[in-house]
Formats: sequence, C-alpha cells, structure tokens
Amino acid sequence: MELRILVYIISLLFWTSCSSEKEDYVPITENAKLEFTVPANFPEPSYNVTLNPPTEKGFELGKKLFYDGRLASDGVISCGFCHIQDFAFTHHTHIVSHGVNGALGTRNAQPLHNMAFMKEFTWDGAAIHLDLQPIIPITAEVEMNETFTGIIKKLEEQPEYVKLFAEAFEDQKINSDNMLKAISQFMIMMISANTKYDKVERNEGSVFTEQESAGLELFKSKCASCHQGTLFTDQSYRNNGLPIDPEYNDVGRKRVTGLEEDIYKFKVPSLRNIELTFPYMHDGRLKTLEDVLNHYSDGMVDSRTLDPIFKSQNNIKGIPMTTEEKQLIIAFLKTLTDDDFLNDDRFSEF
Amino acid sequence: MKNIIIIVFTILAITSCKDDDDVKVGSVNLNFNNSIENTSIIMNNTSYTNKSGETYTISQLKYIISNIVFIKANGEEFKYPTEKSYFLINEEVAESKTIELNTISEGEYTKIRFGIGVDQSKYPLHRTNNFIPTAQENEMLWSWSAGYIFLKFEGGYSVGGQENTDFKIHIGSHGTTLDNYKEVILDLPNTLNIKENATSRVVINADIAKIFDSVNTHSLSIKSDIQVDPENAPKIAENSATMFSAASINE
Repeated sequence: MELRILVYIISLLFWTSCSSEKEDYVPITENAKLEFTVPANFPEPSYNVTLNPPTEKGFELGKKLFYDGRLASDGVISCGFCHIQDFAFTHHTHIVSHGVNGALGTRNAQPLHNMAFMKEFTWDGAAIHLDLQPIIPITAEVEMNETFTGIIKKLEEQPEYVKLFAEAFEDQKINSDNMLKAISQFMIMMISANTKYDKVERNEGSVFTEQESAGLELFKSKCASCHQGTLFTDQSYRNNGLPIDPEYNDVGRKRVTGLEEDIYKFKVPSLRNIELTFPYMHDGRLKTLEDVLNHYSDGMVDSRTLDPIFKSQNNIKGIPMTTEEKQLIIAFLKTLTDDDFLNDDRFSEF
Repeated sequence: MKNIIIIVFTILAITSCKDDDDVKVGSVNLNFNNSIENTSIIMNNTSYTNKSGETYTISQLKYIISNIVFIKANGEEFKYPTEKSYFLINEEVAESKTIELNTISEGEYTKIRFGIGVDQSKYPLHRTNNFIPTAQENEMLWSWSAGYIFLKFEGGYSVGGQENTDFKIHIGSHGTTLDNYKEVILDLPNTLNIKENATSRVVINADIAKIFDSVNTHSLSIKSDIQVDPENAPKIAENSATMFSAASINE
C-alpha cells in the first residue's frame, strides 16, 4: 500500500518537474515536413533549406500571411495584392506597384518563382537574403507601410494565427523571425520548372516546333550571355540602355552600393513565365515582348554605365535582330510559360 | 525498503532539471556612457569642436551593439546567446544605455568583445530577425532596403561662426558589396568576477569625438551627408570602432 502511494508520488514528480517554463505550451499536432525537390535541370538552391525546412504548417502559415492584408497599415494590401498567381505573381498590367491609400511605387512588381535559387532580391539587390526581402514592401510607405510591432500585435489577436505559429515553430512564438521564416517557406516551395522548355531539356517527351527551335538558337546567340542557364539570369546587375525616365530618375543598383559605377544598373530578371509578366523592365515601361526586343535592337541609349556587351566595334549600340528573328525568339520565350505553376492550388489564395 | 525509496528520491532530486542547475550563472549590466572630452554629452544645446575646426551640436545619436562575448585570461570565451544579443543604444533614452545581461557563466573575465551593427554573415541564423521591430521603431532600418543602420549620428555644424548646416551620418552595410559591421575587443580595467546571484556593472565609455577624428579624420565641410557612401562610410565605421573603452567595474 505504502509502496503504491510512493510510486504515484514518484510518477507525479517525473511529470511535473521542469515544467515551469512550459506553462503556455500548446500541444503540437503533427507537422509534416514538406519535400523540397530540386528539379533535375536546376542548379543547387542558394537558400539554405536545412536552416528553415518547409513544413506543412509553416507553409500554410506563410501562405496565410502572404494573402493577409493585416501585413499592411490599411488592412487591405497583402503581398498577394501585387503578386497575382495567374500572372506568375506579378501585378497584371500595372506599370508600378500599388500601395496603401492609392500610393504608387516606382518599380514594377517582380514575379515570384524559383526564389530559393536567387542570391539577392529586388531590382537592385537591396535584400541579401530571402528572409529579409519582405521587410522592404512591409515597411515602405508607398507599399504596405506597416510596422513589425503593429503586425505582431494584430496577429496575436487572431486565434488562428496563435495556433498556426504554435504548430509551425518549435518555440511557438509569434515574432518577426518566425513570420519571415514562414513567408520564406511558402516562397521557396514556389518552383516553376514544368514548362515545355523544361520538358525538352529533361527529355520528357516534348519537342520544340521548328519555330521554337530556331528561336532558341537565336536566343542562345543574342540573349543568353545575360539570361543564362536554366534560370535564364546570371543574377548580375546591368545597364541595358533604357532612356532615363525623369519622373523617377531611378539610379538602380547605386542606391544599394553607393557606387557611381552601379548607376542605372538593374538585376537581369529571369525570363521564366515572361509571356505573362508584362509590362516589362524595372519600371514597367514596355508593354509587349515586341516592345522589349525593339528596345534591344533599336532603342538603346548610351551612357557611362551602359553594359559593354551592347557595344559593338563600330560603336553601334544594341543587339541586331530582324523582325522575323524577333518573332522566332518570342515563339521560344513562350515555351517558358509554366501552366502547372500558374494553376497550382498549393499557391492559390482560395 | 525505505532505504531504496530514499535512494530513488535522492537520484530524482539530483538528476531532475539538471541542465538548469549544473552551470552557475551571474549577471552584468553594461552601462554605455557617450562622452566627449570625458564629459557625458549634452544633446542639442552644447557645441563641440572637431579637429577640422568645425563646431557641431548633436541631435541624434544611436547605435546597435551586438554579439557580446566575455573572454577569460586563458582565452576561453563565454558567448552571450546571439538571439538575445542585439541592443539599441539611444542617447536620448536613458534605459537604452544600460544593457542587462543575465545567465553569464561564473568565472573571471578580463576582456569583452562586441559588434557595432549587425553581422550580415550571420543571416539568417540565431533569430536575429527578432531585432527588426526594435530597429524599425527606432528608425534604424534603411527605408528602401532590408538592411540595418548601425550608427546614426545627426546634428548641425558650422565653420568659423558661419550659418549652421545639418549633418547626417548613417552607417550600415551596402548590400553584399561593403560590410561595415565592426567588432571591438576591450581590455577590462580589472577582472570581472561573475558570481551566482550577483550583478556586476561595467561602464563602457564611448568617446563620440572619435567618430570624426580617430584613425581617419573627417571634415563635415567636405561631406556632411553620409548615407550609403562607399568612400566615407567605411572610414567612419573604422573610427567608431575605436571610440569604446571599458572604464570601470563595480561588483
């Protein structure tokens, strides 16, 4: 009898000891790891997935945050407001980004795909890590114009968020680190690698048309030195000879480095899903792919930092292309559209 | 029978909560004292003169202290948990100038090391992103970028009694092209003896005049607005890394 009581006491001791710090503990439901698979024709990711391995709950939380206007001061402008899935997460037909209270930004919202493979973010590389990128739109006055303190407060009032943060992260806390990690988990899963181009490259049975093949050959000789590799960008910053728009006088990469040699340079964008990410260029000034190729053949303006690649020996600027060649290149570029990605329910708001 | 029970209880008492008990820890308060010519600075109303002969007043002085490490005579280090190791010193907010550090392992320390700014090589480790709300509230984030301002020093200056002009110095890293994060190691004036349940106080002087005049000399007439300035920002960052010294220890 006496022994039995003691056994109880000892068991109780085991259960209750060291529990002081875990009073707020919410029991964790199963949080399965998500498979992050690098497509066979892709390079190794730049994002260190082992430091923030995507999980079911982390991804769900990241997606909820991505589509939640609470991240903005007006409660309306979510990340998804300017990054719409149907257009490879760009702001369809909008020249520059739109923010709270009708504010206008100065640059075109970039597509979101294959973010895990990018080294730096935004048109000028102002974010050196994917986890840091959302700081820019969230805090920018002309975008979401909100404070992290304000967001955390709003999220803490929502039982759904309290639960999701607790399920997604070991420390169970609603804080800026977990918030940014969750958004990154959502974004790194956004891999677009199922285009016709990919299926040809991976020998999955697709074949280019004659036009597309001819377009690819032209692309290789005229575009691929900057739009390199399977990501279609060498991730460098270059001045591609756009005339300076006095309305913005955007200095480009110089804003980040302060270096004169970086003035008017912008990041070489990926060309995946390019058919849908119009309008084009950092300020959305060009409406169609024809306009873009016409710029490269005939529209370039010389300046101190114009990329040398565009200058020939005869001091002719640009990439010589005939109208037919442009049409073939565009036919090839359209093989970079990924319908599976654009319609993937995992990334959809509803 | 009873003996066995006593033994079981003893074992439980010894082993439970082991990780909380086996390292004895104490506390340190680091007091940052921003001074010029050994006198605590006075904002706005007091003029100082730099070595370029310019008189200046100070309207804002803030900097980020991070990655604090205590070092013993034999070189052994106690690293304060990085996640809790980011602090904003704001001259205008008295409480911000005392950094309270708990859970430092007992021992005798002779040096302290810390960073000025945020070490971007550590992104995204150690939950440093939890410092974002503090940095944002104190306007220590660049508005257009995802980077921190490590040192913000603003005020007015004049040369030879002429009209007052504003100066603005914002130092941080420039993307991945220029890292202005600096670490400093200070010799402690005497041994810092960390003991359980005791709080020591270390006074750290920051000689603000050195922002202008130290390894480099900076004249405001030449450049009074330094923000993402690849020529002058690294010189100011170098200077600011020399301004600290450990003045006294009270136990």
